[in-house]
Amino acid sequence: MAHTGLVLPNSGHNRDAEANKFGMWLFLFTELLLFGGLFIVYMVYRMLNHEAFLLSSFELNVVLGTVNTTVLLVSSMTIAMSVSAIQMGQAKRSALLLWITFALAGVFLVIKYFEWSAKIHHGLFPGMDYYNNLPAGERLFFFLYYVMTGLHALHIIIGMVIIVFAIRQTNNGTLTAEKHSLTENAGLYWHLVDLIWIYLFPLFYLIH
Amino acid sequence: MATATAQVNYLEAKKGIMSWLFSVDHKRIGLMYLYALITFFLVGVTLGLLMRYELLNPGKDLVEAKTYNQIFTLHGVIMIFLFIIPSIPAVFGNFFLPIMLGTDDVSFPRLNLLSWWVYIIGAIMALSTLVFGDGPADTGWTFYAPYSVKTGTNVTMSVLAAFVLGFSSILTGLNFIVTIHRLRAPGMSFTKMPLFAWALYATSWIQLLATPIIGITLLMIVAERTLGVGLFDPSIGGDPILYQHLFWIYSHPAVYIMALPAFGVISELLPTFSHRTIFGYKAIAYSSLAIAFVGYFIWGHHMFTSGMSGTARFIFSMLTFLVAIPTAIKVFNWVATLYKGSIDVQTPLLYALAFIFQFMIGGFTGLILGALATDIHLHDTYFVVGHFHYVMFGGTGFAFFGALHYWYPKIWGRMYNKLVANIAFVIFFIGFNTLYFPMFISGLMGMPRRYYDYLPEFHIPNIISTVGSWILALGLILMIVNLIVGRFRGRKVTERDPWGGITLEWQTPTPPPVQNFDRLPELPKNGPYDYEHKPQIKD
Amino acid sequence: MAQSHDQHQDNHHDGQHHAVPYSEHVRTLVALLFLTAITVVVSVFGAALSTLSVFTALFIATVKVVVVAYYFMHLKYEKKIYSGLVLLVGVLFVALSVLTALEYLNR
Ligand code: HEM
Repeated sequence: MAHTGLVLPNSGHNRDAEANKFGMWLFLFTELLLFGGLFIVYMVYRMLNHEAFLLSSFELNVVLGTVNTTVLLVSSMTIAMSVSAIQMGQAKRSALLLWITFALAGVFLVIKYFEWSAKIHHGLFPGMDYYNNLPAGERLFFFLYYVMTGLHALHIIIGMVIIVFAIRQTNNGTLTAEKHSLTENAGLYWHLVDLIWIYLFPLFYLIH
Repeated sequence: MATATAQVNYLEAKKGIMSWLFSVDHKRIGLMYLYALITFFLVGVTLGLLMRYELLNPGKDLVEAKTYNQIFTLHGVIMIFLFIIPSIPAVFGNFFLPIMLGTDDVSFPRLNLLSWWVYIIGAIMALSTLVFGDGPADTGWTFYAPYSVKTGTNVTMSVLAAFVLGFSSILTGLNFIVTIHRLRAPGMSFTKMPLFAWALYATSWIQLLATPIIGITLLMIVAERTLGVGLFDPSIGGDPILYQHLFWIYSHPAVYIMALPAFGVISELLPTFSHRTIFGYKAIAYSSLAIAFVGYFIWGHHMFTSGMSGTARFIFSMLTFLVAIPTAIKVFNWVATLYKGSIDVQTPLLYALAFIFQFMIGGFTGLILGALATDIHLHDTYFVVGHFHYVMFGGTGFAFFGALHYWYPKIWGRMYNKLVANIAFVIFFIGFNTLYFPMFISGLMGMPRRYYDYLPEFHIPNIISTVGSWILALGLILMIVNLIVGRFRGRKVTERDPWGGITLEWQTPTPPPVQNFDRLPELPKNGPYDYEHKPQIKD
Repeated sequence: MAQSHDQHQDNHHDGQHHAVPYSEHVRTLVALLFLTAITVVVSVFGAALSTLSVFTALFIATVKVVVVAYYFMHLKYEKKIYSGLVLLVGVLFVALSVLTALEYLNR
């Protein structure tokens, strides 16, 4: 028997791109259910406060919402392209597309910032006077609005951090056509962020 | 032994505390979980004994009402989130799943280490409420709103701790699912996997898909406490029942996180000690998945008296009865496995048999609680306390200790004193039943749970219970002392297969080398419990 | 890509194959933007049909989600098990919501 022991063909220390991807999908499932819990809360309170939810949704700016939706959809495309690029061995192009995605994420956050601060400026935030005097249903609507878009924004920020890592590793040659789990997983994560927004957008902005 | 010198075992491969705390070896991580878990378990047991002492006589014996409330909450939080949910998967799953699959580690070894650290951080947070802030929460481990939003005790920290612990649970589940999909030995299809692996597979899916919901729910409690928007507070427009829904959407599947791994352990112990193949392999394997699936849709049976709609009560009650079917399938198969086996009565088998006995009592009383009419009378009485201790402690707890006695020689390469172990078991078993069986009676008589005081007519069952808790403690101490002594002074075990087991961990050297195997694992011809074609491993 | 098919059979391959052509991504984006436009229009101009618009909006959102998952997230090219699991998670979530909704509708 060799001193180092034998190496099993199915070792947990082998590089296994499929496992990385599978693990990422499983993680995405947990994210879906994390938001799922909030969607259930939304559903119940919408059923109990139908009118108030309708009224409040008029306060949100459909134009900004639509712009942001577009921004996210485009960024989803650019990161998908970036995965294609690295698979074809075009590292430079892949990095560039990641940068574009990153920039679009920034645009999304800036728009979100303006939306939020306009509301907060009017005292429409939990704990502020104007908010506290609203009827219960509207308070719940805005609370859910802040929690859900806030949690979503947090995911955008995390996604941006992952993208920066992917850019660095693309530039220093760690990620290649043969080995690019990070790009792929960054892409999957980013699409998830997009998926959630696809539901948030109509539920908050468009339920007139 | 030739191989023993060629291969360094995992215990001796590296020295020093750091080589443990930052090890990515699944075996060491499993042991680190074991040590942490046992410590927290003993803290929880101490709290339990305190409560039992308080309940020895009506009126105040030891602690005030509020302190008592804090004690049972902390007891519940520790036992559920720190002990029973991680227990079997984190310790024995980590240690043995890769070996049983014939591989050398889990798919993501570093993530595995991270789960342990996250677990420790969560545990420290939970216990820190003892020292910091306004004292441990007094809400019960369920943190029901609106009281959890209003009480002055440190609910926020307890809730955040549960959130962090959930993270650890998710990561372990994720790791196991990927490992089972990717790292099975060549030739081991899903239907040739040991049943313990099947049980962990089903468990992991629940951990993965249910835990996020409690995570977000607990964060909502924190938000509510800091911002006060009225999310679950009826006086300002919220709906407290919604909290209960969200809580049980996780916490009911979570009882299967506790139970399924125990089923897996029993399915390993019985074939080994009756030396024959398991009866109904596929039925046991698939019923785990069935339980996991149906288990999602019966959460409402915790809320029959909360003011839920009648239709929903009816649906949930019916679904609850459904889940008894796959569970009963397992029990019948286990009993059939024993039939005409050549039974070797060893300590682990005793634990397995006690498991079947106690889990059945727990299960049947569960059906009584799942029936609408009886639950109205029994809800929130000691009947419930008896029921869930029978399931979680008499079931999973006993399976945990059975597993510990079973895999002990493989883990440490030594054997405990079997006679003492058997004596400890008998005391433990008697103590357990003396402690919890009277609770069914006091519950039927109408004694409510979660009070530090009770009416004089409940005195007798409470005395018996408290005496039982002392017997149980005695058995537990004897068991643990025996195991610790065995670790250092026990007879050395060098043979690979001291029990005559058949799954792959019995093909590796004892204790296993860092790489787990010193030769390619050999699978029995017809499935994992094919004793007729058991591979003969010579040293 | 043509060779992708037999690679699916292989369990231990690296999972790196078909680079999806850029043109497919562009087409996907166009489809998504089109669907977005429809929802916005339905909602803004169809305000009178209030409940109807919730269901249309959710329906269109779901179509968009399927498109993103199928093309951008490569479910089209992945092994079947991925789609199966995604479906399972979806069904699970819908079932949980429906059961909860049933409770509230019957109060
Ligand atoms: C020596 C062992 C134990 C003793 C003496 C003990 C005793 C008790 C008692 C008396 C209560 C009822 C408190 C009340 O309703 O007033 C209780 C509650 C509870 N126990 Fe134990 N127990 C023990 C072990 C365990 C174990 C091993 C588990 C879990 C695996 C567990 C889980 C729980 C839970 C979840 C509660 C409910 C807490 C709550 O109401 O919020 N216990 N225990």
